[in-house]
Amino acid sequence: MHISDGVLPLSVTIGGYAASAALVAWSAHRTQTEEMPKLAVMTAAFFVASLIHVPFGPTSVHLIIPGLTGALLGPSAFLSVGLGLLLQSLLFQFGGLTALGANALMMGLPALVCGWLFQRFKGSSIRRQAAVGGITGTLGTALAAIILALLLATGGEDFFGVAKIALLAHVPVMIVEGAVSAFTIGFLARVKPALLQQSFVYPHKAAHVSH
Amino acid sequence: MNVVQRGLLAGVLCVWLTGLPNFVQAQTPGQETQQEILALLKEQNNKLSGELRRIQREIAALRADMDKPGLKDVFSGIGYILGFFGAAAFVAARRKE
Repeated sequence: MHISDGVLPLSVTIGGYAASAALVAWSAHRTQTEEMPKLAVMTAAFFVASLIHVPFGPTSVHLIIPGLTGALLGPSAFLSVGLGLLLQSLLFQFGGLTALGANALMMGLPALVCGWLFQRFKGSSIRRQAAVGGITGTLGTALAAIILALLLATGGEDFFGVAKIALLAHVPVMIVEGAVSAFTIGFLARVKPALLQQSFVYPHKAAHVSH
Repeated sequence: MNVVQRGLLAGVLCVWLTGLPNFVQAQTPGQETQQEILALLKEQNNKLSGELRRIQREIAALRADMDKPGLKDVFSGIGYILGFFGAAAFVAARRKE
């Protein structure tokens, strides 16, 4: 679900770019140097995930994984999503370059929300982390569909109509993403729990560590 | 297409054009043979148009395939990402010193 060139009105396009630029700057500011390898790998995963197609009726929809990106990266997720979308737009022709700001908002905001939710509710047991990860993975795509409908509503589309279609079309993706996220986070919680810690909920602690 | 090829083509065309009336006259076909030829032509026409349709479909499928990102795009994108974060880490590490 990428927005193409010329769909959105000019004001929304510019507003999307401005908001995304601000969020990317904030995201980059909050990124710790030690987190960069993780960030790079997750960005690459986000970039490539869009090539995994899930058959749905006559067409197919592809994975987006904003939820998983957010859960693993926390505040840095917006930077990751923005860069991934830029490269998808340049190399895959997914979504227009002019709509990049809006696209980044559409997938970056759910990533941030999911990251916060995951950190807030993940608890400590492996099973609970996997469950919360699965829920955030599902939620990420659902939120992205709703933001897509909001953005398209500014271009004169009917909000509820678009939201319904976008949500329905992505039900299989949500299921797959929930499963992928639950598996990934469950695996990481078992093997390398340190990867699931971010500076979202405890910014003071993280700031203290970085200095 | 150079001059020789063009001349050759014109020659072949001339021979065919001069030969055609002779052939048609020599046959002096009756009613049945005309019908036969018509049926043959129709059959051939059907076959050709069917084949043409198939080729058009194939071209459309090919075009759709070309729009899909290939392996090259995937790896170049991953390369860009790793390179970008590598450079960022380098800058961050230098600033820390």
